[in-house]
Amino acid sequence: MPSLKDSRISVLVVVAIVVIAAILAIFYVNKPAAPQRLVIATTTSTADTGLLDHLKPYFDNRFGANMTWLYLGTGQALEVASRGDADVLLVHDRAREEAFVSSGNGTLRVTVMYNDFVIVGPPNDPAGARGTNATEAMIRIARAGADGNAAFVSRGDNSGTEALEKRLWADAGVSASGTWYVSTGSGMAPTIRVANERGGYTISDRGSFYKLRSTMNATLSLVVLCENDTSLLNPYSIILLNSTKHPNINSDLATNFLLFMVSRQGQSLIGNFTVDGRQLFFPVYGNPESIGLPSENATVTYLNSLLKSKGLE
Amino acid sequence: MDGFEVIAEGFARALQILLSGDQGILEITLLSLRVSLAATLLGAAFGIPIGFLVARKDFRGRSVVTTVINTLMGLPPVVVGLVVYLFLSVSGPLGFLRLLYTPEAMIIAQMILTFPVVCGITISSVLSLNPKLKETLVSLSAPPSWEARVLLNESKLGLITAIIAAFGAAISEVGAIMMVGGNLLGYTRALTTAIMLYTNMGEFATAIALGIILLLIAFGVNLFLTYLQMRSRVRRTT
Repeated sequence: MPSLKDSRISVLVVVAIVVIAAILAIFYVNKPAAPQRLVIATTTSTADTGLLDHLKPYFDNRFGANMTWLYLGTGQALEVASRGDADVLLVHDRAREEAFVSSGNGTLRVTVMYNDFVIVGPPNDPAGARGTNATEAMIRIARAGADGNAAFVSRGDNSGTEALEKRLWADAGVSASGTWYVSTGSGMAPTIRVANERGGYTISDRGSFYKLRSTMNATLSLVVLCENDTSLLNPYSIILLNSTKHPNINSDLATNFLLFMVSRQGQSLIGNFTVDGRQLFFPVYGNPESIGLPSENATVTYLNSLLKSKGLE
Repeated sequence: MDGFEVIAEGFARALQILLSGDQGILEITLLSLRVSLAATLLGAAFGIPIGFLVARKDFRGRSVVTTVINTLMGLPPVVVGLVVYLFLSVSGPLGFLRLLYTPEAMIIAQMILTFPVVCGITISSVLSLNPKLKETLVSLSAPPSWEARVLLNESKLGLITAIIAAFGAAISEVGAIMMVGGNLLGYTRALTTAIMLYTNMGEFATAIALGIILLLIAFGVNLFLTYLQMRSRVRRTT
């Protein structure tokens, strides 16, 4: 029966056409976007505050690029970058940054800006943390927590903020566990909101807290209780990734991003970014000594010569 | 009541945002539509033929295959997201394609979710056709292509239901596209992932505005497909 055979062939042809159409459909939508895309793996604080939104048009304009970012905790950001899934890092956890570079995943690390952490809590402050130093505040929160009068809400997402929180607990000699200690496993803004709902304490970078305050207005009842302590300083670094290990990353654009951030223009853009008239990030490239960090003279000299040769100063 | 004021104000501002025709919101909406429609169509392109073959052919292990497909209809999106992430990551087996954090990755993840939905419903609607119809086709020794056309035409209602269900699952899904899309601004930010972001940031009005758009899209697409369903039902009875 030739008709049967014919129709089998026609079924095969139809199936083949469908499969080819499907593959073409994928590649049709896969047409590469004209500007080169830069993927920054960063922390929730730089994204949630709007700092990157503020910088994006200037960077895109200057380099004909399309700057995008994945906002994760610092731990996750480092993990994503070590897999080669991002082009450059903008993070804040000095210890892990250095481990990342010395393990060969990163080639260059430089401090670009800082802000600071604040301990926030309910305005009636049941633990009496207001106005104390950070370590003392942690001791008091833990004590009130154990008595059932306070709660502490932790990021619990392996972020730079959580790393700082762990250091503060260690300094305070407190083991943070119990029903008063809540772990959200999410970014800074959701964690602040959980603390707000539960009337608990948490640690936030100043930028994320004020940004959330500006959007939530009166519905955010938490207030800053403890601030201006050197142990609460929060420096941010940019790390260039090892392009020998991950040849697919866009390392030229990544380098341009680093140079843009440390250039005079980038540093002043960081400095003049405000939320509700308040400066959230402080440029500190070339002068980390001013906030008590070790000098980075060798790196800075190298980057300055690079800036000069590219005419970016 | 203070609490209600926040919600009411959110809705009012949401309407303002919608009426202002914000470019960013339009982009997010178009991306959501593009990703979920592509995932639904691709899921159907594979799901309907495979579902039809499973329903029509007698082969060993057919009941196992049917059970597996039915189970996959309830596939958790985050698991799909995780697996697709691991495959597409630069360090993964398909990393050389450089598809992670692109709309294509989102389409792939959602297609894995829509395929079993379309396939499963196709199987059950073809199986539930009147057996006399199949007997007639056999007695006429109809060629397979003819048989397929008649049977698929008869199960049209089921196939439309399959596509509605698949699209509904895709457009409302957030876990998988968050993991493989990365919610990149202006590139892989979809309605659902943007709603999560704006809620996190405390910008409830924008989140509500996007929620309204999401509901309108789901409603509109369902309205269209339901119209097709009704039409085919009317035609059949006349």
